[in-house]
Amino acid sequence: MFELEKTLTYRAFLLLLGLSREFLITLGNIGRDFSHVLAYILSLKINVRETIEQAKRFAFDSLPISLTIVGMTSAIIAMQLAPELAKQGAADYTGMLSAIVMIRELAVVMSGFAIISMVGSSFASEIASMSVTQQINAMKVLKVDPVEYLIVPRFAAGVLFMPVVFVVAATFGLFCAGLVSHYCADLSILNYITSLWRGLVVKDIMIAILKSSFFGGTIALISCSMGFSTRGGAKEVGIATTKAVVWSFLAIAIWDFIFASIFYL
Amino acid sequence: MSLEVKNLIKVFDNKRVLNNISFKVEDGQTLGVVGFSGSGKSTLLKIISGILYEDEGQIIYPDDAEIAMSFQYSALFDFLNVYDNISFPLVERKEFRDKYTKEQIDEIVNEKLQMVGLQGIEDKFPSELSGGMQKRVAFARAIVTNPKIILYDEPTAGLDPVTSTIIEDYIVQLKKELNASCVVVTHQLSTIKRAVDRVIMLYQGNIVFEGNVEELLSGTNEYAKQFVNATVEGPMNIAQK
Repeated sequence: MFELEKTLTYRAFLLLLGLSREFLITLGNIGRDFSHVLAYILSLKINVRETIEQAKRFAFDSLPISLTIVGMTSAIIAMQLAPELAKQGAADYTGMLSAIVMIRELAVVMSGFAIISMVGSSFASEIASMSVTQQINAMKVLKVDPVEYLIVPRFAAGVLFMPVVFVVAATFGLFCAGLVSHYCADLSILNYITSLWRGLVVKDIMIAILKSSFFGGTIALISCSMGFSTRGGAKEVGIATTKAVVWSFLAIAIWDFIFASIFYL
Repeated sequence: MSLEVKNLIKVFDNKRVLNNISFKVEDGQTLGVVGFSGSGKSTLLKIISGILYEDEGQIIYPDDAEIAMSFQYSALFDFLNVYDNISFPLVERKEFRDKYTKEQIDEIVNEKLQMVGLQGIEDKFPSELSGGMQKRVAFARAIVTNPKIILYDEPTAGLDPVTSTIIEDYIVQLKKELNASCVVVTHQLSTIKRAVDRVIMLYQGNIVFEGNVEELLSGTNEYAKQFVNATVEGPMNIAQK
């Protein structure tokens, strides 16, 4: 006799349904936390001391890895681009192209990745661990809103300090690209800088700063929200951290696409 | 400043974990809540403390009453040292921040640490303390706002008998000094004997025994007998649980 429950299609459907449900619940949690954060920020209830603490983590903890990733990536691109452009007699465009690639995409996305791995993952595991050890509940009983104390400062630090990381990383990336172009394609530093100025457009810089601000806020919000809704034990803390990293990567990709569509399409 | 719970109902996944629970705890009185794991004891404390919401019923206490709770595993903030843990509500809550200067907060923290017999550990982090010391720091943090209702969730869980006795003595002492209404969820008969005035027993979300400590220990209630004698046979079906 045909039994629907035993068919592969039915099981696949159930799995899909379960995944969709989990996706929607996670999205709902993030939305709920964002609305609370927004309410606090709009009423200017921001814990300045905690925000400064979190800003230090955003700006300093992630900087070495951001600089390394952005510096290495830009050096590699310059290493491959500069000799080719030199062969075509277009070495003078190296600086300009580096600036466009670096400012529009690379610096902000790469430093976003660095921040997800350095800061976002630590936000998620820290808050998840607090959640499973009842520290969040203790905070509620002490009548201190954990959203105000834990999420708002991290979100504010992300929004305000991710652009700082971006600016420093982009500057360092352009410096690395110039240095590599000089050694790989005999491009003089002066020519590189002159070309660089042609590629540095105020509009691009402003969009990138705005984008990095969105990235910072999104990473902080997703990471905190994943940690906040964690229940269970050590295993769930690990799952929450992984989910925070995966969701942050996805969110950055989506934001990047939205920004590119709005400003460069 | 008493605490009253009236017809409390809490449902999880279509199952009533608390079914029409009612009791009253007077000032300076400690109510012990006993029962097997999963009988709804911790849920009851979470509802009284405001961590969870009730589905039906009422929790009645004066509007201005501070409620404090000591958690099973202390729940100290592991990123803060002892001083910052205890002063946390005074520093983070606006009404206290506006009321107290830094020097006054120092004094209050010192006083509370003295009350739980700890001093000179202000700079230590929770991970550097023993289980018993963590419990006492958690007590100090709980009472820093001079609460009138104190909830203890398994205050002696995981502690050796001597440390448990010390903790039980502090529960009695804090109740007297603050004249608070206390609710102690526990499995330990020693805690019931030393620190509790009245007892209720929960089974499958219902109150199956209510009385004083003497009645629990040597009364005729079958549920109480099974709990006190720690027998498998009796009205409470452990296998079913």
